[in-house]
Amino acid sequence: MSKLCTLWRREIAAYFLSPIAYLVMVSFLVLTGFGFWMLVLAFDGHTNPVSVMQVFFGSFFYWIGMLMAVPVITMRLLAEEKRLGTIETLMTAPVSDAAVVWSKFLGAVTFFALLWLPTTAYSWILNQFASAPTPIDWGPVVLAYVGTLLVGMFYVSLGLLASSLTQNQIIAAIVGFVLVAIMFFLGFMMNIGPAWLQTFFGYIGSIEHIRDLARGQLDLRRVMLYVSVTVFVLFCTQKIVESRKWR
Amino acid sequence: MIAVENLTKKYAGVTAVDNVSFTVKRGEIVGFLGPNGAGKSTTMRILSAFMPATSGKVTVAGYDVFTQSEDVRRRIGYMPESNPLYLDMRVSEYLNYRAALKGVAGAKRKARTDEVLERCGLKDVRRRIVGQLSKGYRQRVGLADALVHDPDLLILDEPTIGLDPNQIRQVRQLIRDLGKRHTILLSTHILPEVEMTCNRVLIINKGRIVASDTPENLTKTLEGGGTVRAEIRGDRAAVERELRSLPGVKNVTFEPGGDDFIRATVFAPPRNDVRVHIYEKAAANKWTLRELSRVRQTLEDVFVSITRVEPSAPKQEEEK
Repeated sequence: MSKLCTLWRREIAAYFLSPIAYLVMVSFLVLTGFGFWMLVLAFDGHTNPVSVMQVFFGSFFYWIGMLMAVPVITMRLLAEEKRLGTIETLMTAPVSDAAVVWSKFLGAVTFFALLWLPTTAYSWILNQFASAPTPIDWGPVVLAYVGTLLVGMFYVSLGLLASSLTQNQIIAAIVGFVLVAIMFFLGFMMNIGPAWLQTFFGYIGSIEHIRDLARGQLDLRRVMLYVSVTVFVLFCTQKIVESRKWR
Repeated sequence: MIAVENLTKKYAGVTAVDNVSFTVKRGEIVGFLGPNGAGKSTTMRILSAFMPATSGKVTVAGYDVFTQSEDVRRRIGYMPESNPLYLDMRVSEYLNYRAALKGVAGAKRKARTDEVLERCGLKDVRRRIVGQLSKGYRQRVGLADALVHDPDLLILDEPTIGLDPNQIRQVRQLIRDLGKRHTILLSTHILPEVEMTCNRVLIINKGRIVASDTPENLTKTLEGGGTVRAEIRGDRAAVERELRSLPGVKNVTFEPGGDDFIRATVFAPPRNDVRVHIYEKAAANKWTLRELSRVRQTLEDVFVSITRVEPSAPKQEEEK
């Protein structure tokens, strides 16, 4: 456990020792901030059936931020270790492959969470500066953040899987983006194909999940879905890391 | 300390290590030699539990490297060939992180890092970022990392590669010091270094161990180990005839030695000392004998003669 912690701390440090972290954070804030500003502008002066935050989660900018940020966060995780050769010093230290994979995952999820942290200010801003002060319903906002974290965990695990396949960070980013994008767009499939397929895709559509959470509907089955799928992808990643032993 | 039995490693059809067996005893400093691609790094990677063997049994300190891999990894300090390091960390940060990873308890960590910083001459650069250090310093950081958890066994894959002569000398001295407390297996291309630091040499070629002995014994048993040089003043034809007729002599070459002397190189098998015979011939024929000495074979000669490309490849017969 202490080794997992050591590895996790190294992952966090690695993010902030490279300029990419700051670049990602700034770009992410510019993007989501711009989206938030546009929404506020659109909502201003009208009576609206839904709240700004409810629309924000599930908006175009929200998903663009999600889809672009995750592959950039995850691309270096294992690919860089392989390119530098540090995978050899890492794996010959007395740590298990599982600890390495989980620490990288947790490190990336921590950074992902830090990315979203400043956006919590949006709700506060609304509360403070809205022309006609409307009390914010904090429950759905908190739920939406929980959902963001769940979807983020799943996407990060996919990005980590992509990073375990190559020693080239660009390839890891592209493969990661493709995997994440496929998972995202599967949600749109709920309107085409035979009925049973539509039902199936309806279950796994992330857009729908986030929207429901932002409305305040918590479905524990969906929480379980994300947790179990994430664990499964991490398990696959661990097997890929172990594969050097039987290839 | 290390016991390797019938180790074989195959990569996609290529046999990198072919049925290799050897042992390393506690306290030995063993030099692992071989041409590039002979299987040195592969063997070292298997020993350090980075990857498993295709077949065969490898134990380190009594633990199986495959089934008890973490026990093995706790006891070895491994420095890979290219000396990979996290270039974005500071030296002391990196060593502290590695110490934690290798299970050095928090309370002892500071003392351990300080000790290896001191030993490897890194005190002055402890606050520097690894990526900004020169190659020599990085090499020392790699060594310090291998040492930081005070392992029983050090496996060093080319620890002196890319260093300048002064740095090589320092690292060699460090290795010799370390050899007093640790068992060391090191690979290198710098053969004089092995002669100076190692108790024993393993030579591997094309995945097989072709020699295993002390450097002195290896140079003695080498074909040509009985080669003798003599500088004689006398009738050239007579000298030539007499030397060639000595028992066991395979070949003699002659060249002018200056001052009317003939410099003769007599090739005889090892353990057949022709020096006495040459002296007797000189005395009988009233030649003047100015020099009579054994030609010392270096480990380099041994290495070349054992691992030389077989005649199927381009013929490059040396002077012999």
